[in-house]
Amino acid sequence: MAVVKVKQPPADRNIFFQVAGYFAEIGKGMRMTMGIFLRQLFKREASNTLEWPEQPADYGERFKGKHFLTLRDDGEIRCTACFLCATACPADCIHIEAAEHPDGAIEKYPTRFEIDILRCVFCGMCEEACPVDAIRLGPEYTMAGAAGEKWVYTKDYLAQRPVLEGGVTSVKEENTKHPDLDREDAERSSHLKHGVH
Amino acid sequence: MSIAVTINDKEFTAQPGQTVMDLAQQHDIYIPHFCWHPGLSIAGVCRFCMVAVEGRPKLEIACNLPVVAGMQVRTDSEQVKEAHKWALEFHLINHPLDCPICDQAGECGLQDYYMQVGKYQAQMTQAKVLKPKKLAVGTDLVLDTERCILCSRCVRFEDEVTKSGGLGIFDRGDRAIIGTYRDKRIEHNYTTNLVDICPVGAFTSKDFRFKKRVWFTQDTQTICPGCATGCAIDLACNADLKRYYRIKPRFSEVNGHWLCNFGRGMYEHLNVEQRLLSAYIAGGEADQPLTKTDTAQVVQALAVQVQRAQKVALLLTPQYTVEDYRALLTFFVGKMGVQSVYQWRSRQEDAARFDGILWRGDQNPNSRGLLEVLAEFGIEKQQGNEFESLVAGDYDLVIALAPQVLATFADIETDLQQLQALPYVSLWASAKQVLDYRYQQVLALTCFAEQSGTYRNYAGVERQLQMVTEPVSAEIMSVAALVEKLAACCEVKEDEHGSG
Repeated sequence: MAVVKVKQPPADRNIFFQVAGYFAEIGKGMRMTMGIFLRQLFKREASNTLEWPEQPADYGERFKGKHFLTLRDDGEIRCTACFLCATACPADCIHIEAAEHPDGAIEKYPTRFEIDILRCVFCGMCEEACPVDAIRLGPEYTMAGAAGEKWVYTKDYLAQRPVLEGGVTSVKEENTKHPDLDREDAERSSHLKHGVH
Repeated sequence: MSIAVTINDKEFTAQPGQTVMDLAQQHDIYIPHFCWHPGLSIAGVCRFCMVAVEGRPKLEIACNLPVVAGMQVRTDSEQVKEAHKWALEFHLINHPLDCPICDQAGECGLQDYYMQVGKYQAQMTQAKVLKPKKLAVGTDLVLDTERCILCSRCVRFEDEVTKSGGLGIFDRGDRAIIGTYRDKRIEHNYTTNLVDICPVGAFTSKDFRFKKRVWFTQDTQTICPGCATGCAIDLACNADLKRYYRIKPRFSEVNGHWLCNFGRGMYEHLNVEQRLLSAYIAGGEADQPLTKTDTAQVVQALAVQVQRAQKVALLLTPQYTVEDYRALLTFFVGKMGVQSVYQWRSRQEDAARFDGILWRGDQNPNSRGLLEVLAEFGIEKQQGNEFESLVAGDYDLVIALAPQVLATFADIETDLQQLQALPYVSLWASAKQVLDYRYQQVLALTCFAEQSGTYRNYAGVERQLQMVTEPVSAEIMSVAALVEKLAACCEVKEDEHGSG
């Protein structure tokens, strides 16, 4: 029976020196953690964390959130029911019914304009397809709700929901904005936090 | 005598008197055009079909250019393309570009040609000339003079086809508009053809307006069931929704390029709101409404009646296909020995009436087919309504094929009322309206768009129907399919009888 003699490494005097590096790294990490923890504790305004929903989160102007329909100067809905958004929609979530407008000046308008928000993928293609700036995707991003909620947004809801404050007018020359984008942040949060339907 | 003409380096044989446009259309060579229409005279006003001819200094319009032996025509040179581009640009100078609200979008000549030869950067800086829009000028017509490119197809249609001359071009230059004479409206049975031939959205159909964008519908080639002429039609439907939207003419020898307004209404009875969706059977008290049930059960009940009844009669409307009649008569006349077959036609019809263009007083698509099939089974008949003889005939069991288009029967209410009084009626129908009456049983049938088959028109020409969609309900079937079921039921009954 052959015996292989393995040369043992020389035993270190102190185990502490062997693992000293690890302690140093743990110390660095703890310093970072504790630093942030203490800063959060005593200097909350400097923190990056938002106290959502009390505090608003700003996604910027071009965020593609909940749809809204714009209005003409006279308060009529701008949409002409051309069906281009419904044609472009990859999720097939826009349902339009067109009709002759009772008022002679406008030829065609949607009697129904509905978006099935559960199908919508927020791609924004409806907005791009629209030839008259009638549909836009706004900054509202809280769309959660309870079961039994109405997930099909109707024409009235899309054009006149309370957040829109009487509706957004689309004028050819001016670039009007969703009211939420003109408001101060603190004010905005009060609308957004409930995900109003 | 034929002559050789070269188009784009390819040689074709042409007949003298043919134009370059005719020849090009015949061989599917692309020449853009607005005012030229195969069913109308040549106007040469749109100046869009420019082609180059070897040896001639200027471009010429293909629609009014007769072929000459050895002629060498080019339709695809840079010079020709440039001419097309500018011609289109001229047509668009005063065009309002309201495609979003225009019903023609998707089938518009301006849109289609713009994709091919559009300039994309318009050079016109002056404001567009505004003209009257949305004018109700006649039956089913809405006229938008702003969109009009003054091709004059509609004026020529009124002058040449209907000879009513209801339209004209008024004023000159960029203020020229299409219009009717003062206080006159265009009211005849062919007005919607103006919508079809209008290459832009100047004429739109009141009936179809805003109902559906054309790119959501598919056209299927079938035959109009509105009268004995049997015009070839394209039936536009959305197959997913099983909804029908409109009927347009399709070229055939029988109807040329046209279709009457009456025939265009032949889609309305196809939609689900008008339809009988399942079989019904009477049970219980006499004033109770019929009970909805499945077809198999009703057919079973009918099989019992067929074997029990002493005197059976068939009452047939000429609105079903030759195949349906043949299946029905093979069973009832061939197998069961029924000899009493009656025609059911409108009481007020004037079958000989003809308006000189397409529309006939005989508003049944298969009058001739019915008589021919009856003759095959040894029942020689003259065309005519025999409803009264059936009612007077004292039959135990009457199997009645109700008209598919109830609107073509002027006194349908009276007829349906009188049928109720008979001892046992099995009414085979496709319209929901028959449920207002009380019969022993009602079986639901498919409509002309839900089956293929053959009609024979007034002249005996075979007109081939094509299935457009699946039936609106699983419980409905064609006459032939129902007869097959009935025959199967009867056989089982006989077997039981024989062994027992």
